[in-house]
Amino acid sequence: MNEQERQLMAKIFAGYYAEAELDIPSIEHREFGIGNYKKIDARHLSFANVSDFRRYLTTNTPFFVSHSTSYYDFPAATPIQKKQWTGADVVFDLDIHATGKYAAYAKLDMVKADLLRLVDDFLIGDFGVDEKDLIINFSGNRGYHVHIRDPRFLPLGGDERRELVDYIMGHGLDYSKFFSDSYTTDSKKARLIGPRPVEGGYRGRFTRGVIRLLETEPKSISRLFSDPMKREFFISGIKEGNWSKTSLKFDDLVSRLKIVADGLAVQSVDTDAGVTQDLSKLIRVPNTIHGETGLIAKMLKGRGSIERFEPLRDALIETKAIADETMMILFTEDVPALVLGGETLGPFKKDERKESRLPLSIFYVLKGSASVVIR
Amino acid sequence: MAEQGGLDFAVRYPFSPSAKDAIAGIAVNDRIIILARNRIMKALMNDSSGRMLIHEADKKEDIASFAVARMILGILRNNYLTNTFAVNESKTMDRYLNREDDETAMIVSEIFGISPKPKAGGKGGEESFELDLPTYLRFCPRSPAYRLINRRLIHGMVEIKSNEWKRIVQEAARKHIERIPIVKDPPEELKEAGKKILESLPKTENTKLEAIKVEDHPPCVAKLLESLGKHENLPHQARWYLATYFLSLNTSEDDIVKIFSGAPDYSEKVTRYQVAHIKKKGYSVPSCATVLGYGLCVADCRIGSPLAWHRLGRQRKGEIKR
Repeated sequence: MNEQERQLMAKIFAGYYAEAELDIPSIEHREFGIGNYKKIDARHLSFANVSDFRRYLTTNTPFFVSHSTSYYDFPAATPIQKKQWTGADVVFDLDIHATGKYAAYAKLDMVKADLLRLVDDFLIGDFGVDEKDLIINFSGNRGYHVHIRDPRFLPLGGDERRELVDYIMGHGLDYSKFFSDSYTTDSKKARLIGPRPVEGGYRGRFTRGVIRLLETEPKSISRLFSDPMKREFFISGIKEGNWSKTSLKFDDLVSRLKIVADGLAVQSVDTDAGVTQDLSKLIRVPNTIHGETGLIAKMLKGRGSIERFEPLRDALIETKAIADETMMILFTEDVPALVLGGETLGPFKKDERKESRLPLSIFYVLKGSASVVIR
Repeated sequence: MAEQGGLDFAVRYPFSPSAKDAIAGIAVNDRIIILARNRIMKALMNDSSGRMLIHEADKKEDIASFAVARMILGILRNNYLTNTFAVNESKTMDRYLNREDDETAMIVSEIFGISPKPKAGGKGGEESFELDLPTYLRFCPRSPAYRLINRRLIHGMVEIKSNEWKRIVQEAARKHIERIPIVKDPPEELKEAGKKILESLPKTENTKLEAIKVEDHPPCVAKLLESLGKHENLPHQARWYLATYFLSLNTSEDDIVKIFSGAPDYSEKVTRYQVAHIKKKGYSVPSCATVLGYGLCVADCRIGSPLAWHRLGRQRKGEIKR
């Protein structure tokens, strides 16, 4: 992107920020970071209120805006010890890694499925967080962010947050421990006592998963269970916590159930960047623009809107000012086909020209795959 | 067992509000300062026994000695002393707590905001409780049995057994006692008492290890070494891990024993015996998966075994540490 293009993009962003919904609780207690050439060029900024923040965005218009997950008495103070930490949202960063600039977009549905499981099973189900204390937003590129703002969680330290991540990702999960030790004996009289479907946490989810699999694809556990009689008999036992109503040997049975245990955890939580456990991290401000895509880190309200959300359709900048505008671009590299803004675009070859609606064109420019054709 | 607000309760739990009330208006005298110093020296000897006190005045002085001991620690601001004191005091408290009825134990527990609810229909007659998740996370000991993944957790409540509840309270007490007050304009007598304690400390500089450098080891080991350097209390598995790890690197037993000299409950005799025992039994270093299971993994090295760290190139090591 050359300077002229950058200015053009900034102008479009500024138009969005003038009317964007920027609802940041306790904004005066957060540290902000902004970036133009990197995600964060400068940090230790602070804003007294939303209108100051909006004024900054419309006049300076950075390409990336993030704020601390932490709350401080003096968010702009340096070094960090002087900020006086008072607590922090618990934040999870879900994303997908794929090779190639565009490969991740095809897999965003997988991240969304993980997101829904994270929210329903783990945060609400296991952790007991109230839905009203959850802020969920698209990251603006390859995933989603979840912010827990339940006051009871705010004082947790880094190690304690790490424990939450480990739980969600199933680190150290040993499902064979769900069963009483007697499962290693081969005696016919011994009973294999295990979890029941009504239990909470991993135990209940595991059990329900086994029953579901028995009902849908019994053979993936054992051919024995293709026989409805044997299957139903086995399931009736599981419901009581008795896993021995089968002729399979206990240790054999338990090892065959690994297939269910392997699918219980949420895999796409990004721990590399340490967003959850590092209390000094900054994270993209919900409803601001991701400068590498021109997509909005859209806040999603309610479960229904998460299910319906299609990032490449619903996170585009759609302001009135640019509603009818188009932009001609010249591709500087080959780009695979993509469904963007409800249209199938491409594949494009290097040196190909294309005129599209503004938010679609700037996506390719910001991705570094095209340049603006000035007419 | 206890009259909750009473003086005996305050002796057993000198961090409680009733303890504060009991010593309100008492002037610090030489006797109390000596008792306070003894209290710290007792911690240095890992002596967590309680004292049998009969007279009211003795009880009050004993309670006051806890407060004064903390003031002395506040003046010294020496991590080793503070953490050693906190570990020892919380162990002393634990001896009492385990003998209390549930009602009294709950009063102590609630001092730290820990309010477990008795769980209806506990299995096998053993009493169980439910504790809210954030409180559980803040105060549970760092050992595999307490890892969240191994617990029953539903709607933000973690199931705990009665003995685990007491252990969590002990941990909360330790953390509470570790936070020493900042003392402005300390009285000369207390400064003097602090000086005497410092003089009786073994010269830690001499036990410093030249052979072992934190930066040579994988992030998990480095973190544990740093924790020991700050005199933090490491869980059993962490100590075990360090011992097996350094034995595998052919570090001498003497040097390994020295590694642990920073631990707040360090005893050379016990450490030496344990290291020798691990060596004799030939226990091997846990795999990365096991280290993760212990809750000690801090980075994403993807090396399978901590020992594989030493085969990585300099650049890869740098990337991981970033």
